[in-house]
Amino acid sequence: MSGYSITEPTPRQKWIAGTLVVLYALITILPLLWIIATGFKSPADAIAYPPKVVFDPTLEGYVNLFTTRSRATPEALEAMGPPETWYDGIVRQYGMVISGPSRYGERFLNSVVIGFGSTFLSVFLGTLAAYAFSRFKVPLKDDLLFFILSTRMMPPIAVAIPIFLMFRTLGLSDTHLGMILLYTAVNISLAVWLLKGFIDEIPREYEEAALIDGYTRFQAFYKVVLPQAATGIASTAIFCLIFAWNEYAFAVLLTSGQAQTAPPFIPTIIGVGKDWPAVAAGATLFLLPVMVFTILLRKHLLRGITFGAVRK
Amino acid sequence: MSHTPIERVAASTPPAIASRVRGLSDRTLAWIFVAPTIFLLLAVNIFPLVWTIRLSLTNYRANRAGAELEWVGLRNYTRILTDPDIWQTMQATAHFLIWTILLQVLIGFTLAWLINRKFRGNDLWTTIIVLPMMLSPAVVGNFWTFLYQPQIGLFNYAVSFVTGIDPSSFSMIGSVELAPWAIVIVDTWMWTPFVMLICLAGLRSIPDYIYEAAAIDRASPWRQFWTITLPMVLPFLMLAVLFRGIENFKMFDLVVQLTGGGPGSTTELTSINLKREAFEKWRTGYASAYAIILFVTVFGLASIYVKALNKVKER
Amino acid sequence: MASFVAALLRLRRGPWEMVASILIALGVVMLMQPFALWAYTWSFLVTLAGTVMFVIVSHFPE
Repeated sequence: MSGYSITEPTPRQKWIAGTLVVLYALITILPLLWIIATGFKSPADAIAYPPKVVFDPTLEGYVNLFTTRSRATPEALEAMGPPETWYDGIVRQYGMVISGPSRYGERFLNSVVIGFGSTFLSVFLGTLAAYAFSRFKVPLKDDLLFFILSTRMMPPIAVAIPIFLMFRTLGLSDTHLGMILLYTAVNISLAVWLLKGFIDEIPREYEEAALIDGYTRFQAFYKVVLPQAATGIASTAIFCLIFAWNEYAFAVLLTSGQAQTAPPFIPTIIGVGKDWPAVAAGATLFLLPVMVFTILLRKHLLRGITFGAVRK
Repeated sequence: MSHTPIERVAASTPPAIASRVRGLSDRTLAWIFVAPTIFLLLAVNIFPLVWTIRLSLTNYRANRAGAELEWVGLRNYTRILTDPDIWQTMQATAHFLIWTILLQVLIGFTLAWLINRKFRGNDLWTTIIVLPMMLSPAVVGNFWTFLYQPQIGLFNYAVSFVTGIDPSSFSMIGSVELAPWAIVIVDTWMWTPFVMLICLAGLRSIPDYIYEAAAIDRASPWRQFWTITLPMVLPFLMLAVLFRGIENFKMFDLVVQLTGGGPGSTTELTSINLKREAFEKWRTGYASAYAIILFVTVFGLASIYVKALNKVKER
Repeated sequence: MASFVAALLRLRRGPWEMVASILIALGVVMLMQPFALWAYTWSFLVTLAGTVMFVIVSHFPE
């Protein structure tokens, strides 16, 4: 009799299933590991054929990522004396000197500011709206909820034309504030839907008890519901942060010098020199926080990607 | 809780009335709580939408803001809907859509089914498989161009390792035949875990006793799969397919970084095509009509999606 | 089938949403099919009709 018909799989079935899944996981993780490894290669190792699995790790990619360099004549290098820092040393092997910091740091910081700014705003507004949708009789509730979700589905490029014109008129183009407002508007739909799910799960009895104890509705929300919803709020925040962090279409169309975030910038690192280790280093630093957050978030991942519809 | 007579009276008052006496009424509070969200969405979504509809009826060009505005009626729409080039773009999008969805459903469902065998450590491996899905599509597209390099790329090396084909003899993003598949591969790599997670939730929602009853009836595993597993997972699968369909219909960031729409216009999906019209050729009015067409299509699909969402939610 | 038609006539939400969904799906297929240019040309109107219909019929009673 085959083991499938009973609900617990046989050890042999488990073993086969496990092997296949592990195999897929290893193949799927390989490109990521490859990019992380490339960040620690020298430019020559990065383009070696056949691809090098064993190599001498170096921080050249990271040094090149954070600096701009210019070529110096051997005499000039001689005249400067020994390199003062380890990164100076790395650059001078190639007959170059560091002429200043690159823009990667700025772009990364822009991503942080815009990401956290929009996350804070959308979670703040989203919590209020989600509470109202969860507990009060809001007229046209279903229509409003659908409207809120449908804004999330809109193709960014289609919305970008009027937003481009609007930002130009209001002087919001290429500003942090403009991007924060825009990302808040995109994220708020996710925040409302996810948080409504989390708040729906908190029993109403807690608030009702608080109301009887003499709390006002607002106090009950603030002192009873919010602490109960803390986990939900935190995971919603991480989802919003990841979205704002990853967003590219609006960023590439609406920002250039001032408020540009990292995703449109990373592809430009490559420059004319085909400096793959620097690109890989930039990508690694940018992707690593998301990987960490994904691992932290794994229990709530399903909720996040289905707008809270599927719970477990 | 205390039990003085007064408090017992207060407790019997319905909370809604009680709160109306102290502090803001529920009605006012509901308005205060919902209004900022609605206002923001009106300003950033609805106002621009109305503006786009208006622009779509003109020949406006955003790079010549001073030029005289001419009303052209529905001419922009008829021009787009009779243009064979844009039709071609739609077909490229269809190729991308159909193959990504097909592959992701097949691989994603199989993986979910395997993970549901509950082998030891399945949580850990699920988390690893899920990683690509959360990354920035633009950055993913960018680093896949490195993996796709003909001579030095890992992908070409792996293909040559398995099949023996010379790795420098083909270029995934440089060749007209291969480029449409290059974007399908990366999207499948990235989004299979999404379908997998949703299918897994579907599989886990099937109660054990149904299988037990089927076993007593001596239904074969094959029959159980077709009569129990698949129908029960179907609503979840629908959800995944619709969402991936919407997302890939408007696909921009990943593909623009990977191939930039090339070579020629073989991988020029609608969003990339629209971006060209709007922000490179600056035919704003024309592009607005184009945007409205995409808009309506996505809105229609989104209505079906929300319906599917509510269906799954009820379970 | 008979009950489906009956529900349509009594303006029930379920079957009408089904009709609207099919119309939207038809429009999307027409938009992206590689066979006939005329189908592509009329796809937008079909999708638009389906979408507007969906918005209206989703307010019908269950």
